[in-house]
Amino acid sequence: MTKLPLAALALAVAATAGLSAPAHATGAIKCDAGPQSGWKSREALESKLTKDGWQVRKLKVDGGCYEVYGTTPEGDRVEAYFHPVTFEKLYVARRGQVLFRAKGY
Amino acid sequence: MTIATAFPYPTPVAKLRSLLNSLPFFWLLLAIPGALMLAGWLDGAIDTMDMLHPTGETSARLMIAAMLIGPLTGVLGARRWLGWLLRRRRALGVSAFLYALAHLVFYVIDMGNLDDMLAEIGAPGIWTGWVALALMLPLACTSNNAAMRALGAAWKRLQRLAYPAALLTLLHWWWVHNGLAGALAHFAPLALVWLALAARRLQSVDAPPRTPKGIRP
Ligand code: HEM
Ligand code: HEM
Repeated sequence: MTKLPLAALALAVAATAGLSAPAHATGAIKCDAGPQSGWKSREALESKLTKDGWQVRKLKVDGGCYEVYGTTPEGDRVEAYFHPVTFEKLYVARRGQVLFRAKGY
Repeated sequence: MTIATAFPYPTPVAKLRSLLNSLPFFWLLLAIPGALMLAGWLDGAIDTMDMLHPTGETSARLMIAAMLIGPLTGVLGARRWLGWLLRRRRALGVSAFLYALAHLVFYVIDMGNLDDMLAEIGAPGIWTGWVALALMLPLACTSNNAAMRALGAAWKRLQRLAYPAALLTLLHWWWVHNGLAGALAHFAPLALVWLALAARRLQSVDAPPRTPKGIRP
């Protein structure tokens, strides 16, 4: 029965070694918005949000949506997802805690 | 090895070997990921926000490594390489704490003010991190030989705080990241070794415990 601990050890080593993958996308939600050529630009989203009273720290693509790290007009530090064609607000979370989720997402 | 005992003075090779095998050198190795992260940040290549991921993950990995060594010794019995790791367990634990501190420092820089930090302290992904760090603090403060001697048996009981700290780290990772996969993958080895240890204990209920007291540094 010494095989069991040894097998566990081998598994443990394999698991540790195999999973040194770098930061993955959080992929909180997905947008089905077609090819990027049809999207509105990041700059357009940023200036719209700024006009609405947001403070944008970081804007990137995640799960086919625009993902924004920033502060809401109400002053909350959040992570928010916007549809890249309509700019509809789809999802807002604070450190993984969901504050808002659009219908269907 | 044989050469080293044949001559009164250590050969250059033996000297190099003992240098590479020394505790300070191990500390140097532990510092390398941190140095790379810091260089990237100072260079502007890594945003402050993006420093949270590597510091947190490195901390968690070191914590898991520290916690694997004891149970592994219980499962496999005394082995030379395990003894080598046992002598470095304290370094692993302390550096887990130091990386967690760095994680906190970059969190504070990224948030920029106390109000924003307090506003989200109730979020499940955040309070779990704070409590995990708070549990690691007494371990870090009592990690010197003097404190170990003064505390005696209480030191071992205190060290058990590592278990709730690990559990909270798992929850912190899961909740702050909207996903269990990364956290589970890292904690799986620990779960496996504990299972193997439990299986061993069940096999030999009336045999004496196999933890080799003698080789603990
Ligand atoms: C002072 C308390 C802590 C705070 C405020 C805090 C905050 C955070 C935040 C905001 C993130 C999210 C980073 C991101 O979105 O990329 C995070 C991630 C993480 N933290 Fe902490 N943390 C704390 C303590 C700890 C401790 C003690 C550990 C480990 C022992 C830890 C390990 C991690 C890990 C593994 C991640 C996930 C990294 C990733 O995959 O992105 N944290 N933490
Ligand atoms: C935070 C700073 C920490 C320090 C300074 C520290 C120091 C030590 C020391 C001195 C020992 C005694 C044996 C030895 O010298 O190798 C030890 C044992 C141990 N450490 Fe830590 N440690 C720390 C944190 C941690 C953490 C975060 C974990 C895991 C989450 C951990 C897990 C363990 C375990 C499982 C043992 C074996 C305890 C036993 O024999 O019952 N330690 N640690």
